[in-house]
Amino acid sequence: MADQKDLETPIDILEPDEDTGPAPGAAGFLPIETNWFDRIFISVVIWVALSLFWLRFIEPAGLSLNFAHVIAVILGIFIVWKG
Amino acid sequence: MQSNRLGWILLAPSLLILFLFGVVPFLYVAWLSFHQWNPFAANPDIIYNGAENFRRLVFDAAFLASLGVTIAFVFFAVVSELILGYVLAQAFMKDFPGKAIFRTIHTLPLIMAPIIVGSIWKLMTTPSIGIIPNLLDTWFGLDLNIGQSAAAAFAVTVIMDVWHWTPLVTLTLIAALVSLPPDPFEQAQIDGANKRQIFWHITLPMIAPAVVATVFIRLMDALRTVDEVLMLTGGGPGSATRYLGVHIFKEVFPRTNYGYGSAISVIVLYLTIVACWLLYVSMLAPRNQK
Repeated sequence: MADQKDLETPIDILEPDEDTGPAPGAAGFLPIETNWFDRIFISVVIWVALSLFWLRFIEPAGLSLNFAHVIAVILGIFIVWKG
Repeated sequence: MQSNRLGWILLAPSLLILFLFGVVPFLYVAWLSFHQWNPFAANPDIIYNGAENFRRLVFDAAFLASLGVTIAFVFFAVVSELILGYVLAQAFMKDFPGKAIFRTIHTLPLIMAPIIVGSIWKLMTTPSIGIIPNLLDTWFGLDLNIGQSAAAAFAVTVIMDVWHWTPLVTLTLIAALVSLPPDPFEQAQIDGANKRQIFWHITLPMIAPAVVATVFIRLMDALRTVDEVLMLTGGGPGSATRYLGVHIFKEVFPRTNYGYGSAISVIVLYLTIVACWLLYVSMLAPRNQK
């Protein structure tokens, strides 16, 4: 018993650091594990891609770029919420 | 809490420099991309024009052609550098006579300024005086003229980039290979795995983070290549080697079209980030467990 008391408490090397960034949430419809920052990033990437696509192919047909922004914002909220 | 505060204090100078020289210029370029600004035009003021620069950009045949050749350049250059870099890294893992000298010589291009690399390759490929056209003509009867042949100019820019940057790939892959534990390789050999299986199932997965980091660096560098190519071909012949960096340079400096140049820069940054992110997701990102 005396020997056991002398032993040092082992360091838990698997203990996570305190500052590991935003914690991943529950699994969403995206195929990869994401946290809220990843989902905002994906939303912005889609926003820019959709805007450029809209400028090139849709706007010449008469639909304003504002529609693309509205679609991108709705899609972004959906991705951040459910992704 | 104390160590946290000390950490932030120690990081503060770096963060301040990053903010001043990284974030602020980016925000300025992003802001400028929504404006028309030609300081040498009749109206030198900065005028807000909404998405007009981007509207012009998606229909700009010169920009789209430049984007196409840039993607081809990046693909050929980065893939060649990765394959050649890995082969050289594996070679340097073995002992052979003159290894130290060869490794030093092999690393020399890395320390040269890109403008110097462009100058050297221009001298080496100039038809009348260059050694490469001379040898190609003598040995194979080939006529290499990068001032006339678009394919030759493109190929030479790729080879020049490979020559310049393969040592970086080699060094990072050597570092990754050296750090690998020997146990999995010994076990695989005991289990009867051949070299191909060991490469695909042990080496590659274990060095994947280093490979991805190297590809990130090379991808970002290759997408913004300017000085080497500008020195070697000037973007020609025609627009055969007018890569995005060269295109931005020609749009911003000779034509002083700062607003439109900023819009192209923002799109290049966007493409770089998306390409790196897709690469990360395809190779390293953890998958959702459904």
